[in-house]
Amino acid sequence: MKKKLFLMLVALMAISTAAYAQGRKGLCINEVMVQNDSSVVDDYGLHHGWIELYNSTHAPMEISSVYLTNDSTKPALYPVPLGDVNTEIPALQHVLFWADGEPNKGTFHISFKIKPGETIYVFDADQQTILDQVTIPADLAPNTTFARKVDGKGGMSQDAWEVRDGGEKYITPSSNNIIVDTNTKVESFRTLDGNGFILTIMAMAIVFSALLVLCLCFYAISKVGSIVSLFNKMRSRGVEPKTIADAESLDHDSGEEIAAIVMALHEHLNAHDQENTILTINKVKKAYSPWSSKIYGLREIPRR
Amino acid sequence: MGQSLSEFMAGNLQTFWEMTGFYNATWEHFVMLGVGMFFLYLAIKKNFEPMLLVPIGFGILIGNIPFSAGMEVGIYEEGTVLNILYNGVSAGWYPPLVFLGIGAMTDFTALIANPKLMLVGAAAQFGIFGAYMVALALGFAPDQAGAIAIIGGADGPTAIFVSSKLAPNLMGAIAVSAYSYMALVPVIQPPLMRLFTTKKERLIKMKPARAVSQNEKIIFPIVGLLLTCFVVPTALPLLGMLFFGNLLRECGVTTRLAKTASNALTDIVTILLGMTVGASTQASEFLTIETIGIFFLGFMAFIIASSSGVLFVKLFNLVLPKDKKLNPLIGNAGVSAVPMSARISNNLGLEYDPSNYLLMHAMGPNVAGVIGSATAAGVLLAFLG
Repeated sequence: MKKKLFLMLVALMAISTAAYAQGRKGLCINEVMVQNDSSVVDDYGLHHGWIELYNSTHAPMEISSVYLTNDSTKPALYPVPLGDVNTEIPALQHVLFWADGEPNKGTFHISFKIKPGETIYVFDADQQTILDQVTIPADLAPNTTFARKVDGKGGMSQDAWEVRDGGEKYITPSSNNIIVDTNTKVESFRTLDGNGFILTIMAMAIVFSALLVLCLCFYAISKVGSIVSLFNKMRSRGVEPKTIADAESLDHDSGEEIAAIVMALHEHLNAHDQENTILTINKVKKAYSPWSSKIYGLREIPRR
Repeated sequence: MGQSLSEFMAGNLQTFWEMTGFYNATWEHFVMLGVGMFFLYLAIKKNFEPMLLVPIGFGILIGNIPFSAGMEVGIYEEGTVLNILYNGVSAGWYPPLVFLGIGAMTDFTALIANPKLMLVGAAAQFGIFGAYMVALALGFAPDQAGAIAIIGGADGPTAIFVSSKLAPNLMGAIAVSAYSYMALVPVIQPPLMRLFTTKKERLIKMKPARAVSQNEKIIFPIVGLLLTCFVVPTALPLLGMLFFGNLLRECGVTTRLAKTASNALTDIVTILLGMTVGASTQASEFLTIETIGIFFLGFMAFIIASSSGVLFVKLFNLVLPKDKKLNPLIGNAGVSAVPMSARISNNLGLEYDPSNYLLMHAMGPNVAGVIGSATAAGVLLAFLG
């Protein structure tokens, strides 16, 4: 009983650890604009600073009850409200929060404004776990953003971020920081491996290696298995083989020989196994009624 | 109202007429209906892979009934019955379910008893990559070429799985091509096997396989999964289900689950898969120059795969001791058309020596081919996906 209880406890811990691991760990701040004079407008047609959050996981993420704040001593400054269907961010997608200090305007309008030099935090529902944070450069110019170089990458390191002025480096609210218009893998194979030779070599090497490793592994497993079974066989016969070679030398049985011996014994003794002496009687339930009979409405499926 | 009864009736009949198949039919529809009927003929009268060609053939008929768009019956119209059933193909979850059934049906004993046969299964995958090179030469893009080349694995579910990810617009043609050539394996392979082997080689008798313990059979799917999927995680849906099905079969405590996976579940998925793949071959998508290219490449892929398996065995024999030589007639079985290509090896072996039964020896590369083609699919998805 105690053992079962222990196993259940371990399983429960494993499940809860897995659930935690799959929580909001992939939620991160992706791009921030502090002073917005002439860039994008909110749903009221007004210019405000904004914070873009990014779901870097490959599954949809519900972010209600996470907290946004610019003061680590007040983690619950703006709780993302419950009950809004738009707070589920699809896989690898974004959501934009307007930093206008007017939360009564809707879910995506937060209760504080942001300034250059501040640090923005995203806290998990426990108000203790920091999911992500970024310190905005103190000299960030108006209408420029501080954005991750690659969406969702780089963790909390400031090196993963860059200033974007809207020139060569686009400002991308609610969109990927890196805009990809082709499948880069396919393009690289198209340009560098036009005849497919390199892919063929690499792919065949991988397939061969995978199956070769499996092959070697099963040679090893069969070797170990046969040695163990030989030792067991010898012990059951009362012989104590000292080495593997001894054990192998004692084993001369082949499947064919055993089959021949069994056939000969069968012929000689006219032996049957036990099955013929067992009689089983099962109760047969007959629930027939012409009303449920299919023979009046259907014919048998033709067989060829 | 200002509309007489006769005008009202005529108007409605006109609307009805415009909805009928006769009004909307084009010559392409009739060509496709002919293709569907030809598949049914092959399956019912010639007994070519009837379990697959009947659902596919009838699916082609279903998918090519002409109708006007917006009637919410078409396979590509969102939310229709056919569209919901087609999700298993487009989202790629039918093929792993088929693999679950294949795993529950397959006995890997021959392979475990003689693990070197795995290499034969690996060699036959050259058909896939050989066809990839030919497809590139014909002007297909690398991702399309990869999707077409997978036909060389001779594995319908794998072909559907890969093409649904790499080239969804070509999936119908690829699936039909893969299943057609699988049905034609008895026609395609024997001439190649004769061409690449000498009479002396065809007479090679292989040693009977050793007995395999139950423990080894149980360990195989677990170790197989861990080793292959650590190398190519992209093949996880296929290999994961294959080895899971096999564990259900071999572990001895889930007989009921194994029976369901190998019978009822496989049958249900095969029916839905075949029918929806057939229905997806609508004339506008199917009757193109690309389809002819795909059928040609599929044929090439089968030829390369079968030949490379046979030639690899010949090469392998050069390094094997005299008493452990392999009969090259089992090389063709490296493609994963289970168990048909193994049966061909056996039949050809018996043709030259009536006492030389190669079936169990050929089952080794045959089931290795299933693992090999799924691994190759994973590699293609990793490189081009």
